[in-house]
Amino acid sequence: MSEKIFPLNLTARAAMQIAGNPATTRLESGVSNCFPGLEFDHRNLDRRFFPGLVFEFASSGSALRQGARLVDLDVDDPDLSPAAFQNRPGDAPDPRVQERLRDELRGETGRALQRGSWFLKTVEQGGKSIALHSHNNPASPLDAMTTWRLVHSLEPGSITLTLARRPEKEGETIPEPREVKLVGWRRIFVNSHEGVIVDAYAPGELTQSLCSPWTHDFRDCACTYWASNHPDIVLAEDVMGEPTLPSGTSANPERANTPIDWLRSDRVRARTAAAEGTEAENRSWQMDHYEINDRWQDLAIVLGGKETAAVYFPRPSELANPLSCPDELAQHLKDVATLEHVVALEYLYALYSLKNPNEVRDPDLRDTLIFVRHEVLRIAVSEMRHLRWANQLIWELEHAGLTTKKFGPSLDPATQVPALDAKGQPYMRPRALRILSPDVLQEFIDIEAPSGTIEGQYARVLTTLRQPRYPTTLHQLAATVIADGMQHYSRFRDIQKQLAFFPEQVGQTPPYLRALTPASPTGDGKAAKDLYDRIVGELQTAYAKGDVEDAGHIAEARRIMFDLDEAAETLGTEGFGVPFF
Amino acid sequence: MTDFVALADLHSSQNKDSAASAPPPRVHLISGERPLVFLVEGSRLFEVDRHLFDAISQSESKGDTALEASFRLPINLSGSNFQLSHPAAISLNIAQTCNLSCSYCYADEGRFGSRPRIMPLDVALGAIDRLIAFAQGRRVTVGFIGGEPFLNREVLYRSVEYALDLARAQGCAVGFSITTNGTLMTPEDVQFLRNHRFAVSVSLDGNATTNDRYRRARNSNSSFETAVRALLPLLDNPGEARVAARSTITREDLRVTERIEALAHVGFGEIGVSPLRTSAQSYLSLRESDWPMFLEEMIRAAEADWQRVCQGSSFRFSNLAIALKQIHRGACRPLPCGSVANYVSVSADGGYFTCHRTVNNPEFAMGSISSGLSKRAREAFLEARHVDRQEPCRNCWARYLCGGGCHAEVAVAGRSGCDYIRGWLEYCLRLYPKVLREHPSLIDKTHEVIE
Repeated sequence: MSEKIFPLNLTARAAMQIAGNPATTRLESGVSNCFPGLEFDHRNLDRRFFPGLVFEFASSGSALRQGARLVDLDVDDPDLSPAAFQNRPGDAPDPRVQERLRDELRGETGRALQRGSWFLKTVEQGGKSIALHSHNNPASPLDAMTTWRLVHSLEPGSITLTLARRPEKEGETIPEPREVKLVGWRRIFVNSHEGVIVDAYAPGELTQSLCSPWTHDFRDCACTYWASNHPDIVLAEDVMGEPTLPSGTSANPERANTPIDWLRSDRVRARTAAAEGTEAENRSWQMDHYEINDRWQDLAIVLGGKETAAVYFPRPSELANPLSCPDELAQHLKDVATLEHVVALEYLYALYSLKNPNEVRDPDLRDTLIFVRHEVLRIAVSEMRHLRWANQLIWELEHAGLTTKKFGPSLDPATQVPALDAKGQPYMRPRALRILSPDVLQEFIDIEAPSGTIEGQYARVLTTLRQPRYPTTLHQLAATVIADGMQHYSRFRDIQKQLAFFPEQVGQTPPYLRALTPASPTGDGKAAKDLYDRIVGELQTAYAKGDVEDAGHIAEARRIMFDLDEAAETLGTEGFGVPFF
Repeated sequence: MTDFVALADLHSSQNKDSAASAPPPRVHLISGERPLVFLVEGSRLFEVDRHLFDAISQSESKGDTALEASFRLPINLSGSNFQLSHPAAISLNIAQTCNLSCSYCYADEGRFGSRPRIMPLDVALGAIDRLIAFAQGRRVTVGFIGGEPFLNREVLYRSVEYALDLARAQGCAVGFSITTNGTLMTPEDVQFLRNHRFAVSVSLDGNATTNDRYRRARNSNSSFETAVRALLPLLDNPGEARVAARSTITREDLRVTERIEALAHVGFGEIGVSPLRTSAQSYLSLRESDWPMFLEEMIRAAEADWQRVCQGSSFRFSNLAIALKQIHRGACRPLPCGSVANYVSVSADGGYFTCHRTVNNPEFAMGSISSGLSKRAREAFLEARHVDRQEPCRNCWARYLCGGGCHAEVAVAGRSGCDYIRGWLEYCLRLYPKVLREHPSLIDKTHEVIE
């Protein structure tokens, strides 16, 4: 009697155990290819594509060894016997072909194949013959991977192989027979009655050659590609009691922004140094082959980009009161976009107030300026990206018919910027184009503080978008903005730390700054201002159409940004800044 | 899953207490064209074939193991120990007085057996302070109740403002609810409820005749007309507020369908009913002999609602919608409600009580906002009311769906109408597979925000 039980409600469904392997363990779910770092190497299946023969698809340098080499003759292959197909008649080959192949492999042909070095020369199926050597030179065999791809593409059913014996070394004379022709069939790999891989494969045969993560293989993988990611660089683990930001990153900006080498051999925390710039530079500081066999357990689990030795606690999700309706959300986003825009401009102005590294002689200052300029530009670019995302969110809301009227695009920079007063109380200050003096830098840090002014704006957006009426993609987009914003705070603090090595003398500009004043928008600064206006114009057109559909204008805006960069740099050397507003 | 956690104690207590008596039922079998098996622990519902159903019916009566053999999953569950955390919801009795004088009112027309009181602002804010301080990042809910809360409008408005500011500063979310008779609501109040996404529960019994029979205005106007006039703008455009009607059923008129129709006609999209079990006017409370007819009435109303759903509407009979949702989730709880474990009520003078129905009753006192919530009192209260320690609950298959009945009502009138509860739950269990098959989107909302 078959018993049928159908779980109905959620607790019943959760309690039922379904027989069989989960879908994730099936071959078709795998990332399988032919590199052995993954869970399955297809070549291990195809090595027995022809019953009775075992091939190897591995090339070595010499042309004599390229292609599919016969490594074994398996005359006991179960598929050569009719008994193997008793309970799966649908898979069975023509009995006469089966009998003849078995006899040949057990007879004279088989004995010939056991002497010397045999390779696959041609395969024929359905009236087509594929020669496994280059078109114009029969002496130049195809490499193993190409050969394998061709073999892999064979369909189940009758096939004819030609095997050719090759000299073991150059100049060796090959006795007869030099070629053997075998008629057989492409193996049906999976028993179609039971759904399991056929018995021809010995235990371990399909998994042979796979890497064992955490051991020797993990050291130098040729493809640097792992089924489970092997990070190169990570952030250091939190020290017990270390203050962290709400994002989970260290409150110490240096620790929050300094990547370390995950494979480093010296695991003493106090001696942990920043990773070098390239893999080659890091190599000599990393665990070596035998060391990793011995100490693989010292390698840290990495979650959210950071090493984690203790129990991992995910961040609690952002909580805030949602906005009441799509219109209110769109208006909120519109306001946020103006804010993103104006701070991007303030940051850009501040960026060009930093001296060009080529202008300074002190090598330490030059290095610091390269770093600081790079970081400020990254933050400004990130704000521009936020501007685009906020506009995309608005556009998506409008496009999905959720808003009652049109809100976007939002491309006017705000005139007021949130700030903190001396007592730490928030207030709105007028927008301003200023050089990156220590005070201004501190204001930037305050704006970007976690749950401070800008990032806090997105918490409500996120909570609102979590409601079922909004498409889930929007929630993901907003979540990206929050994750991205967290880094700004940390990066500005890192900048502050680096610049502190070059204090300003009383009454003087700090050594890293240009004494910049905004250029006249109608005079010296006109060219740069015009470029900026053109960028905004292009974005206006693009965002109005939904940027996915109008990549041309975005690309044009990007192109003009390079011109603007050049113009700003020129103005900067003359002591002027771009008059954005 | 918290519903399961509380089952831990239950096993140890079962073993101790019930050694001598028959074991409590672990399964409830529902015959029919598609037979159903309901596993009591975990509230797990299965559809099975007839052979298996028959085999289980026979084996359960003999006490053998067909159930285990067929299901191959644990029939009895075990959980970890229940940890009592701070409540995430409070209700503030901001006005222990009322402009109506409903004859059946459990709250003695809002006064809870003493003189009318208005909650001072500092009491309300103090209670909110405590709620949010202990929220630990969870979403919290502040409910406003009475009496009639709009009699203390200033405290209502200022409490909401205060809770929002505090929650923002503490990084937690806060939601609001209010229970009102609707008669005092102004257009500003309506906008206020919309702005703050209130869950508004309006006490209204049905049409004007039904309603005004017991819900009397002190000034002899029709309380129905006054309420409806004030409510219409909110019903027409609730914004982000959720508005539901709640109708009290007395033994003088057990009809449910007609009340739902009448309230839907007013404009309500969510309508619930509660049978009157305890009242100062005892002649109005349902008696043992009334329950069978009330069950019929409930099923008639549910059938009508289901027919509407089949024609493309959504559920509006909230008793049914909530029961289906609970069954879908496999709600399994050893207590009837969140009272004490997750929710307490604050009286006008700052005392904590187990819920809004037990305000000013010393037997249900749980501390005060000055002394704090008494952990010991809460633990003792919950310990004593665990459904596996209640009679006749511990031998009932529906015990973890029902939870043993309202604490406040049980204390006054004991347990009655259990056959009605089982009958109603069985009806809902039978309907659930149909809803799942024919209108799954109405209950199987996997992406729904869990509040």
